[in-house]
Amino acid sequence: MCADEKQTASKSNAKIIRLAIYGILVFILALLPLLIKSPYVIHVFITTFIYIVATVSLRTVTISGQYPLAHAAFMGIGAYASAIMAKLMGWPIWLTIPLGGVAAMAIGAFIAYPFARLRAFYYAMVSLFFGLGINQLIIVSTKWTGGAGGFTNIPHLLPTTDKVPYYYFTLVFMVLCLGALWRFEYSRIGISLKAIAQSHLVASSVGINEASFRILALSVGCFFVGIAGAVYAHYNFTLSPTCFDITAGLWLFVYALIGGLSSFNGPIVGTALLIIAPQLLSNLKQFVPFISAAILLLVFYVMPQGLVSLPQLLSYWIKERRKKDTLSHAA
Amino acid sequence: MLLEINGLTKLFGGLSAVKEFDMYVNKGEIVGLIGPNGAGKTTIFNLITGIDKPTKGKVIFNGQDITGKRPHVCAQLGIGRTFQLNPLFPNFTVSENVEASFFLHPQSSLLDIYFNTFTYRRNEALIKEQSLSILQLVGLLHLENELAKNLPHGYQKMLGIARALATKPSLSLLDEPLGGMNPDEIEFTIAAIKETQEQGVTILLVEHNMRIMSICQRVVVINFGQKIAEGLPQKLRENKEVIQAYFGDENLA
Repeated sequence: MCADEKQTASKSNAKIIRLAIYGILVFILALLPLLIKSPYVIHVFITTFIYIVATVSLRTVTISGQYPLAHAAFMGIGAYASAIMAKLMGWPIWLTIPLGGVAAMAIGAFIAYPFARLRAFYYAMVSLFFGLGINQLIIVSTKWTGGAGGFTNIPHLLPTTDKVPYYYFTLVFMVLCLGALWRFEYSRIGISLKAIAQSHLVASSVGINEASFRILALSVGCFFVGIAGAVYAHYNFTLSPTCFDITAGLWLFVYALIGGLSSFNGPIVGTALLIIAPQLLSNLKQFVPFISAAILLLVFYVMPQGLVSLPQLLSYWIKERRKKDTLSHAA
Repeated sequence: MLLEINGLTKLFGGLSAVKEFDMYVNKGEIVGLIGPNGAGKTTIFNLITGIDKPTKGKVIFNGQDITGKRPHVCAQLGIGRTFQLNPLFPNFTVSENVEASFFLHPQSSLLDIYFNTFTYRRNEALIKEQSLSILQLVGLLHLENELAKNLPHGYQKMLGIARALATKPSLSLLDEPLGGMNPDEIEFTIAAIKETQEQGVTILLVEHNMRIMSICQRVVVINFGQKIAEGLPQKLRENKEVIQAYFGDENLA
């Protein structure tokens, strides 16, 4: 019993430490605009925040064992839905952003039923082509979306063109969304989804309804990626179908993959690295895909759990090294 | 009668895995389903729990027709089961395996779960307590924080039984619960099965190991998907057809 109590105590301690680290990170991010005056750098950070929400919302689906490649399309649905409602119907933006999420969620829930019967490779392929279809739909409905030429003059999110207020808005937005997604993953819902991923037969034998849980997961994921898309639309003021095509969908997945699919922090680290790092090498921009491929290979060979497993791996290597040292000393 | 199977037939392509199979299980019994490899025992389990849909025939559980019902519905109605291969969630710890299996009783609503309400927390505390007592029953309490995939085979089988018990079934289907166990583990598992029966769970099990006969009240023998004998374990040992199925034709020998 004593050991048990100790364990729960250490578990809650770990939780507090984790929360404290998150708090410090957010605090540093909140101070950043005081130090950095370049609007371009602030812009990169704002984009990163929005994309972090998009990649973390992938996790609702990846923890159930599937690889969604159509998430950029849902981001596009949210973005275009909100932009259309705000510009063509004149609705207020504080309403259209959540409605953009709801639109993405509705379409996600609609296709989730057939999707819930597919697994692994088949799921990935069908979702890929669904993304392609949505993108085509955006291109051909020129009357609403502006087609391939893009959607311009989207109403602004904030009554200013200064980047700093946008920075704080998207930072708060990201923290709120991550909190909501965190709760989803670490509740019994997330546990049941992880159980489905490990063995759908065993999961169904204890009464977990695989189809309804996967429909729920895809809907929730689509909602968050939808509002991320809506915020993106009202921050950028213009949208183009290429922002949400297959390549964009693959990138979202690659962000999560490089960071690590097995942990909540993985997609955050991956997105931040792969959006910010190419900006530092701005004169090598055309090589970004090659560099990313190299990073991808390196990550998979050295740390199959993704970049987030780096600290764990380092401590393991150091331990092994010490062991070897003591052994050679003993000899 | 808790479970009644009438004329169950399953064709895979042109081959009949199970053919015109009848059996019943009374409340509170331990019934053994035995037969040589490939006789169709696991297929019968899959047909009862809805993983495969029967080509013909009926499965009646607790007076209700459950033929072809989806697996999670069968679990909700009170049929728990274990699997012969891959019986658990490999990347969960032992205690997580049992806790994740406590999906049905008590079940919190989605909103309760998401908003971490008092009801949800009370249910989760209850689940924690009950899963510890189940782990105690199957003797895995000392390994509760070990990853399930790191357990030896025999322990994995026990954990499978613990998982099945977490659904609080009225009928538990055990698919080769003794497979891959050493003699000590076999004795322990048999005692655990006996104890679950005493707690009011009816048990239908598939097994090759003849040790299990000692606790079965009735045994059904199948071969090539058909029932060839049924009765008390002692009597079946002298049954000609059973001997033939297991050891071959004596005239040939």
